[in-house]
Parts: sequence; structure tokens; C-alpha cells
Amino acid sequence: MSSTLADLVRAPVDPGILDEHAKREVRRAILTAVCVPGYQVPFGSREMPVARGWGSGGLQITLAIVGVDDIVKVIDQGDDEGVNAVNLRRLVTNTTGAVETTEVDEATVIQTRHRIPEDPLSADQTLVLQVPVPEPLRGVERNMAALAQMHAEADYARMWVSLYEDKVRNGVITKSTGYPCLVGGRYVIATTPIPRWDIPRLHQAPFLSLFGAGRERKIYAIPPDTDVEPLTFDDVPFEVERTPGASCSLCQATEAYLVEIPPSSIGAADGRWICSDTAWCRRRRSEDNQS
Amino acid sequence: MTSLAIAKCAVTDHTTTEHPSASGPGQTVLRVERLGKIFGDQNPAAVAHTGPDAGTEKSPDGNSVVAAWDVSFDVAAGEAFGVIGESGSGKSTVMRAIAGDHSSTAGSVWMQRRDGSTVDLLTMTASERRALRVDELSVVYQDAAEGLDLGVTAGGNIADRLTAAGWRNFGQIRERAAELLGRTEVPLERMDDLVRTFSGGMRQRVQLARALANRPPIVLLDEPTTGLDASVAAGVLDLIRSLLEELGIAAVVVSHDFAVIEMLTTRCMVMQHGRVVEQGLTDQLFEDPQAPYTQRLVAAARA
Amino acid sequence: MRETTMTPSSNDVATPTQATVEIEMTKNQLSDESSAVLSVRGLHKHFVLHNVDGRRVESLNGIDLDVRAGEHIALAGSSGAGKSTLLKCIYRTYLPSAGTVTLRSPIGPVELTGLADAKLAAIRGREFGYVSQFLRAEPRRGALDIVARAGIARGMDKETATEAAAVSLRRLHLDESLWDVFASVLSGGEKQRVNLAAGTISPPQLLLLDEPVSALDPANREAALALIADLTATGVAVLAVFHDLDAMDRLASRVVVMRAGRIIESGPPDQVLHHLEGVAR
Repeated sequence: MSSTLADLVRAPVDPGILDEHAKREVRRAILTAVCVPGYQVPFGSREMPVARGWGSGGLQITLAIVGVDDIVKVIDQGDDEGVNAVNLRRLVTNTTGAVETTEVDEATVIQTRHRIPEDPLSADQTLVLQVPVPEPLRGVERNMAALAQMHAEADYARMWVSLYEDKVRNGVITKSTGYPCLVGGRYVIATTPIPRWDIPRLHQAPFLSLFGAGRERKIYAIPPDTDVEPLTFDDVPFEVERTPGASCSLCQATEAYLVEIPPSSIGAADGRWICSDTAWCRRRRSEDNQS
Repeated sequence: MTSLAIAKCAVTDHTTTEHPSASGPGQTVLRVERLGKIFGDQNPAAVAHTGPDAGTEKSPDGNSVVAAWDVSFDVAAGEAFGVIGESGSGKSTVMRAIAGDHSSTAGSVWMQRRDGSTVDLLTMTASERRALRVDELSVVYQDAAEGLDLGVTAGGNIADRLTAAGWRNFGQIRERAAELLGRTEVPLERMDDLVRTFSGGMRQRVQLARALANRPPIVLLDEPTTGLDASVAAGVLDLIRSLLEELGIAAVVVSHDFAVIEMLTTRCMVMQHGRVVEQGLTDQLFEDPQAPYTQRLVAAARA
Repeated sequence: MRETTMTPSSNDVATPTQATVEIEMTKNQLSDESSAVLSVRGLHKHFVLHNVDGRRVESLNGIDLDVRAGEHIALAGSSGAGKSTLLKCIYRTYLPSAGTVTLRSPIGPVELTGLADAKLAAIRGREFGYVSQFLRAEPRRGALDIVARAGIARGMDKETATEAAAVSLRRLHLDESLWDVFASVLSGGEKQRVNLAAGTISPPQLLLLDEPVSALDPANREAALALIADLTATGVAVLAVFHDLDAMDRLASRVVVMRAGRIIESGPPDQVLHHLEGVAR
């Protein structure tokens, strides 16, 4: 579209939720995070229109990096139409001029809570994850100074002990969300937003992943083409979630992350599982219809 | 021939002047040289007003405690060296200074590393010293809670050290943990119990197993059986002695208890008010103590 | 180095001529220097009792003594004469106040009083041993284990040491059923036999024995004395304290009598001992 002087004059003076200084700070934190993969960079987390614990960190990252040329997809539990996803998406597009979409291959920035889209992302795309708890060692150490020291000295013994204890107590490593991963062979991160199913997708991915924790005031990143290895013992292979025999009752997929729904919900015929990634499922069904 | 008795009262045994060098039995693996620790105001003048002659470790103005000063001794590979003293003697201060649990004011602690090189521990950074504690220098504390994580299983406490040393195979970790617990006489069926549920004597055994996990050449033991019931203590002491002998580990044993020092060590030193009062072969110190203070201590112990 | 004074023999048929005596003494001198395992010269020991009243107690007042390979020297004298003190000064459980104690060693003569603690600790047990009256071992170790370990410490391999330990314990009539029980539950006599076995397995060149059979009944004493006699037969130098005149008579090649920290007499047992019959012990 052509822009005239009049258009420029009419451009919003309202800086939006984050002013340029705030954006600059977040971008600087992002740059540091990208330079030191997996390192939790502290940043001055601003007050957001969403409450703490509801994606304020991810939101700040998205607001800092999108502009009028960006197309934004926001999902919550893989679903574009969840209430939170819708609200966040509108917040972003209304205040930055970016355009919204539900299609993965159209988006330049994908903000998510709890899933990575089933479709492979490309090097031109950025994944922004909303992180409730960025600290992988939180369960084993409370003291902040000790935590800082552990990361600084790559002393993750406590993490290994908790994995050992888990396996001893339960026969398998039961950690589901927030599985600890070693990034670039150096820092251990919490993958708190995403299930184990999605972790292999982070390893040597072509896209950039940014993790934002607003309440905890930390940003960390996995740059493209970085090694991401879930922590596990050599003789205990890392396993993803699987329910044998389950398939999506809408599109019959078996090789996707499935979620269980109560039988009385609308849309579930006789099966109890559907795809978590609603957009992906819908596209599969429309492709099936076309073929 | 000078009077040996007077020579023995001297603070240091200067006849062995070599620094720790290439490994081999009989070679010095740890050499403490004029170690000193002042708590509070780092006031060097406090030194002159403290010690056995002054009858206190505290400076006259009350702002400094000269917890240890001018402490020197060495330990050979496979040897157990004792440090005896009453409370306030500085014996625990010396141990913690070597362990790196606190900084030191003066002196050097030369340690021979696995690769044969020698390093002054006091010149290392805190994180370098922590790295040493993985597999080169272990500590067994009087209070097991200090050396263990009570909220973790017995096997888990050992796994902690093994993984810190790079072990990544679960099966092998379990095997080694079971082996160590067996060696320290912890019933195997308790391997997966939280250490919090263990008695004092059992906790010490787990602490020992953990300390030995990565086969360190040097172990520091601080009052390892104090606070345990007599019969339990005897068993733990016995275990320590046989482990030290079997594994050929160099050890520094700190205790106020003569029976412990007598059983575990071949050489020892007596501390009082932060200074070394006498040093010698353990049997000689106990049967022919030279310094008045040592004679008093021995007489009291024998009573 | 001169031998300590010899008492004139009263049993000899003929008194040796002066020349013969001189030749004998020269021969002794030569053999002294080549085979003295232990040489004590001018050894003094006093204790200062700071705890009591600071008094000084003189215990050894100048001891000169040699012990040669294959020799069994028995120290005799009343209590307080300084016999045990002498042994302990040699072993350095007591610190000599003056004098020298020289021990033959593979690297040449070693002067023990001036030796660094760590070095002394290293050669104790290896080059010379001390067998006291009391067993000082881990209370929860079995007799066989204790004796075998002593052998291992002296360079035997485990199998040989265990075998030798068994032989030794059997010889001392320690019942096999007691070989695996904790040493702490053994009787005084049993402990003493274990102690003796441990002290004499794969023996070093010099052994200091301090009343090693005092708690044994006559039958066991016999076996123990026989074992000790074998030591000298195999070339070990032995310096021993017994309160038992009979034991001294049987075992000693020479008896050295001490009184008030000095040597007052020295000679073959048959000469010296009958002097002591009447001496209060």
C-alpha cells in the first residue's frame, strides 16, 4: 500500500504497551541470550495488561520484536482459539500494527504457551515461548546465589540427582513438562512450556526460539542450529509421550501430540483424543476433503 | 646431639622440606605451611596477644579471633595425621581452611594433584576449589547433615558425586553406589531410603560412602564419631580405620577424642588457642608428651 | 666400638691369658662393626612431670648396647630399672633425651633419634618391630586377619601371609575356632598370642619384645618361647624384657642387667642369672 504524508501524520503516536526504551531493553536482553545460548538473562520486566503468570514475558518479547511487516500467530495449548491466545493476539496486533494469522506457514512470529506447532518452522520464523518457571534447578535449590553459582560453574549435579531419584522412585524418569535440556553443551534450561513430545524439535532447529518469563524477569534463547539435548542417563533413552493405539478422532493422526477430551464434548464422536495443534488438524482434514 | 625433647616442642617439623612431588607411597601429598585464620578485624597485631601464653584466641579489644596461626604439618600418601585439641583450639578451623569452607588469612596449603602437579589451594578461586572437592579432596563432617542432602536417598547422595565427576550411566551409578554402601556396611535394602530416616551412625556411614565415591587421594575427617553412641562410634571408627588402610588414602583426622586419634593416626599434633603446641608420632605423643599442656590433656584422657 | 663390660667367667677351667683376651676382644670388635643390627650409645632419658610439680625423673643414665643378628639379648633387673624404657626409647615411643640409636638398614645405618617422624613411622614395622604385652588391633578383626595383615604389611602376598599366619597361630595353640572371632572378645592370654604371632610373622631384622608372654599359662608359654627361640635361629636380632628367669635362661645369648637406668652387668645367662637369684625383682 502506498503511504502519503497524510498517512504518516495519521500513524499512531501512541507508543503502544512497550515504549521504545522498554523495547530496546528487551532486545538487548534477547541479543545477550542469543549470544549465550541457554543462559537466563535478567531484564526489567514491565507491567503488562496481562497478569503475571499469564504470558507477560512472552508478550514482552513479541512486542519488542514485531513491527508492521510481521504476521503473528498465537497459540495456547496448541489452540489458536483459546481465550488467552485470542486476547494476546489482539493485544499484539492492535498495538503494533502487525497482522494476525492462524496458519503456521504465514506467520513470522509464533507466540505459544505449551506447544510447538506440528508443522516444521523455517529459518525465517521466530518462536516465542511463554515461560512460567525459567529455572530448571528450582526444585532442587532455593537459594538464588547458589543457583547462580551452579549455572556459572556448570554444576548440575543436583539436577542429575533429581533425575536419579525420579528413576529410582518410579522406575522411569517421570518429569513431563519442564524437562531439563542441555543447550549448546553448556547451560541447562527449563523447557517448562512444552511437553517432551516437542523437545526433539528444538535440537538443531533452523528457527530461533526465545523464552520469556515475565514474573521471574528472565529471557533465554536457543539460536538456530544449536544442540539441545534432554538430560538423561546413557542407558535410559529419552522417551516422548505416547498412548498406544490412540489417534485423533477428527483427523485420525497418530504421529502428533494428542490431548484427551471428555467424551461429552462437542466434536468428539466416539474417540477421546484430538490433536493439540488445532490448525494442523484442521488443515489435514481440509486436505483430506480436497483429495 | 641436642635435646630432642626441646626440638619436639617446636612448632614445625622442618626436617622434611621437600614440597609434595611425584606420587608414590611415602611421598608428601599435603603440606600445610604457616596456616593462619583471623576472624573479625583482620588485625595482624592481634596475633601477638593471643595463643597459649595469652590463654585465649581473642584479641584484647575483642574484635578479632585468631582462630589458627602458624600451623604447619604434612601428610604422606596413605598416612593418617591427627589434629587434637579442645574447643577453641583451632582444629576445626584448620580443617575447614584446607577444605575451603572458609578463606584463610595467611600461609599455604600445598596439595599434590592427581596429575602429579602441586598447587597451593589458598591461591585457587572458590570455584576451582569446589571442583577439587569432586574427586581430589573429600570431607566427612561431624554433622552428617553438612555433608549429605537429607532429602535425598542414600544412593542418591552417592550419585551426586558420581554425576559431578561425569558418570552418566544409570546402571553403573547404581552398581558403584551399592558397592560403596556395602563397603560402609549400610544395609542394601536401605539404599533407596531418604537419608533423613537414618540414625546418626548410619548417616556417618553414608557420608563416608559418598566421600569415597570418586576415590579421592585425600580425605578430611572432622570429629567423625562425636555425638554417636559409644557402641555405634566404635563400629564407625573401625570402619574408617579399615577403609583408610585398604584404600591407602591420606587423611587428616580432627578430634578431641584421644581414642579416635590413637586408633586412626600414626602422627599427630596438639593445638591450643589456635597454635600448635606439640607434634610427633601418635604413640610418642600419648606416652611421652613433652609440653605441659599435652601432659595435662593426656592425663585427663587416661583418667 | 667396644663391647659392654663382660663379667669374668667363673665356670671356665682355665683363665685365658692376657694375649688371648686381647685377640678375642679384637675379633669381637670386628664382628661388632659388621653385624651389629642395633647400636645404642650414651642413651639418656628423663621425664619432666609438668603436671605434678615439674620434677625431673631420671630413667636412663647412659646406656651403651649392641645387638647383633641372631643374638637374643635379655634385659634383666628390678621394676623401675629402665628395661621397658630402653625398649621404648629405641622404638621412639619415648623421646631419648640424649644419645644415639643406630639401626642397620638397607640404605646404610640410620640414626633413629634424629629421624623425621614420617620416616620413622615408615621404617617401624618394616625394619624393626616392637611387640608389647598388649594387643592393640582393631577390636572387630579376627585373629587370623590381624596376623595375616601384619605379614602383608611386611611385603608378603595375601595367600602366603594367610598361610603363615595360620601356621603361627597353630604353633601357639590358638584354637582354630577363635581365628575369626573379634579380637576384642579374646582372653588376655589369647590376645597376647595373637600379638606375638603378628609381631613375629615375616620378622624384620630387629625385634623388641616387652614381656610378650606374661599372660600365658605354662603350656602356651612353652610354645611361645619356642617360637621366639626360632627367631634368633633365623638370624633375627632380639632385645627382650622378660620377668621370667627361666625364659631368659632358655632364650638369651646374653643377659644385660640394669639398675637405676644403667647397665651394671652383662654376660651369658648361666653366669649372670644365678647372680640374680637373690636379687629382688
